[in-house]
Amino acid sequence: MKLNEGNTAREYSIVRINALEEGMSEFLFTLGCYPGERITIISQLSSNFIVNIKDARYSLDENLASAIFVEDINIEELAV
Amino acid sequence: MKIALAGNPNSGKTTLFNAITGKIEHVGNWPGVTVEKKEGSVKSSFISDEKNVTVVDLPGAYSMSPYTSEESITKDFVINEKPDVIINIVDAGNISRSLFFTTQLLELGVPVIVALNKCDINEKKGTIIDTMLLSEVLKCPVIETIATESRQNGLASLIDIAVSVNKNGDKQKAPSPKDKIIEFSKEEIEALDKKRYDRVSGIVTQVERRKLESSSQTRQDKVDRFVAHKWLGIPIFAVIIWLVFSVSQSWVGPWLADVLVGWIDGFYGLVEGALGEGTNPVLSSLLLDGIIGGVGAVVGFLPLIMVLFFMLALLEDSGYMSRVALIMDRYFKKIGLSGKSIIPMIISTGCAIPGIMATRTIKNERQRRTTAMLAPFMPCGAKLPIIALFAGIFFNNNAWVGTSMYFLAILMIIVSGLVIRLITGDKSTSYFLIELPEYRIPSIKRATISMFSRAKAFIIKAGTIILICNAVVQILQTFNWQLQVVTEEMPGSSILASIASPLAWIFIPLGFGLWQFAAAAITGFIAKENVVGTLAVTFSITNFINVEELALVAGGSEVVSVFGIGAVAALSYLVFNLFTPPCFAAIGSMNSEMESRKWLWGAIGFQLGMGYIVAFLVYQLGTLFTMGELGSGFLGGLMAVVAIIGFIVYLILRNNRSEIKSSLKAA
Repeated sequence: MKLNEGNTAREYSIVRINALEEGMSEFLFTLGCYPGERITIISQLSSNFIVNIKDARYSLDENLASAIFVEDINIEELAV
Repeated sequence: MKIALAGNPNSGKTTLFNAITGKIEHVGNWPGVTVEKKEGSVKSSFISDEKNVTVVDLPGAYSMSPYTSEESITKDFVINEKPDVIINIVDAGNISRSLFFTTQLLELGVPVIVALNKCDINEKKGTIIDTMLLSEVLKCPVIETIATESRQNGLASLIDIAVSVNKNGDKQKAPSPKDKIIEFSKEEIEALDKKRYDRVSGIVTQVERRKLESSSQTRQDKVDRFVAHKWLGIPIFAVIIWLVFSVSQSWVGPWLADVLVGWIDGFYGLVEGALGEGTNPVLSSLLLDGIIGGVGAVVGFLPLIMVLFFMLALLEDSGYMSRVALIMDRYFKKIGLSGKSIIPMIISTGCAIPGIMATRTIKNERQRRTTAMLAPFMPCGAKLPIIALFAGIFFNNNAWVGTSMYFLAILMIIVSGLVIRLITGDKSTSYFLIELPEYRIPSIKRATISMFSRAKAFIIKAGTIILICNAVVQILQTFNWQLQVVTEEMPGSSILASIASPLAWIFIPLGFGLWQFAAAAITGFIAKENVVGTLAVTFSITNFINVEELALVAGGSEVVSVFGIGAVAALSYLVFNLFTPPCFAAIGSMNSEMESRKWLWGAIGFQLGMGYIVAFLVYQLGTLFTMGELGSGFLGGLMAVVAIIGFIVYLILRNNRSEIKSSLKAA
């Protein structure tokens, strides 16, 4: 599912990033936002998502949040 | 030797730079304040034997593969300029991200020293970092620093080590088998970078012990939920701005201003006495009314400006500004800009020139140019005397005047952004991401330093440009074209009056069709503070702060009668000065950031048009509400406004037509 469909205060695992803007995926990577890493939605304020990635807080807009695909960590653990 | 300061945005590079060089570069607790590299020499107190050590403060970067223009500056510098030592500032609260960049720096072969900054915050949180182990793993010195502290901050040992590393000619060993950066495919680079991150994660698990999981909700997040709330965000922002203004314009500021004006008056009296009776009247009026009076009128507002800058510095230091960007992002999205555009606008509240320079961080060309065009609408420090003057004389020093000007500016920006998007027909939107730094108690000391540095710049400006302008204005209104001294009965025959009068009729529909106002608006393009100075000189009032003196000049009870305009027209004049093109220096800055003549002239024309329309609406509607009738020159003004709007509509249509044509062609 997309990050913007996620629930707050839940930790998700990033599956893939599908950003249209050139270089955006690479930029997210440098922040530590890439497949396999974890992301937590701290809160949703109107159309902005406050997330936690690698010990830092960022605000993403809905556009960007919908370009990040995530999955529940539990599912992943079950698979293992 | 040359030291480069590199690190993630908002890790404290400029604060550290200021601490070791004694400079006063602009800092703020939000990412992206520094867009250009800055050089300085290390204070001699830090160095014992080596004499000239230069430090270069670089813009923030998350990695060596540049995504933003700031990152490119940083990358180019460390690769091409070959600094002797790189000090890598790492935010101790976030080593898991910061060390990614660190490991890249370690592979350049330049000695790296890690400054583990903001250690004080870690202590509060109970996070422990084993610096010895970290230093061992990275194969480079790691020094704990607190750049915001003046003592016990680790900076002295940081510089010591940098100097000694350079002296010994140490070569930096890469901590791990170095991946050769040759032509890799994209996938290979990605894989390598992933490996790098895995290494970093490994290091972090070794050296860091946290009490609190960072993904857990904290008090900070509760505050965010409140200040960036869907409905409460804007009202809270409004209250904060109103508080800033009420403290600076209605409460502390005027009280200080009275003291200062007392001194200026005393000085005026002194000089008047010293000149005596025998001096040429033209010369003495040039000295007294033109120079001391005109400059004094501007300097009289200095305390108000200083208090305002002090408050703004506190705001910037608190971490709130990042949240303002995210509140505004929602609205800016709708007009085809992104939250990134708010940063230049926030900086423009100090001065539009660095504000316009900050547009460089916006990748999309149209968004960048539009932001450079709109940022000067924010009331900058130089426009504050104008706001303070009119708020003081016509609105009893009310804080709502300044506050409403800020919000009117934001409204203007939103409307203009929409119009520009229609004209250019660009529908692209972009992603918005901003790091939210932790809130902190703002430092009184830092705010004081920042306030004095801005006050100094203001005084220098007052003593140079404004002084010269006032002297010129005084001379031009003293003489007529035949170079005779203008008499009391014929004030309209001076050179200045004859130049400004033809322009004044354009302003009749705006409620201030007097040549003095036209002249002040013109000198305002040289520097916005001149508006106040020129009004002081042309109306021969040298003390604007003291309302009683105004009454004396008017020879009656009506303060307002001096200017011959009412409160509504005063508001219109204020709006006109705030929302027309900025000063020449800022226009020059617009020119260099836009990189397009067409856009520059378009921007100037657009700003003029917008200013005229808004002033027209304020005056005519205001008169209608207060007097029940339309103001003077309504029809003429209406025609002008219709012409401006018509031209804008024509531009929009022209663009849409070409779009339709091109889509037909494509079909």
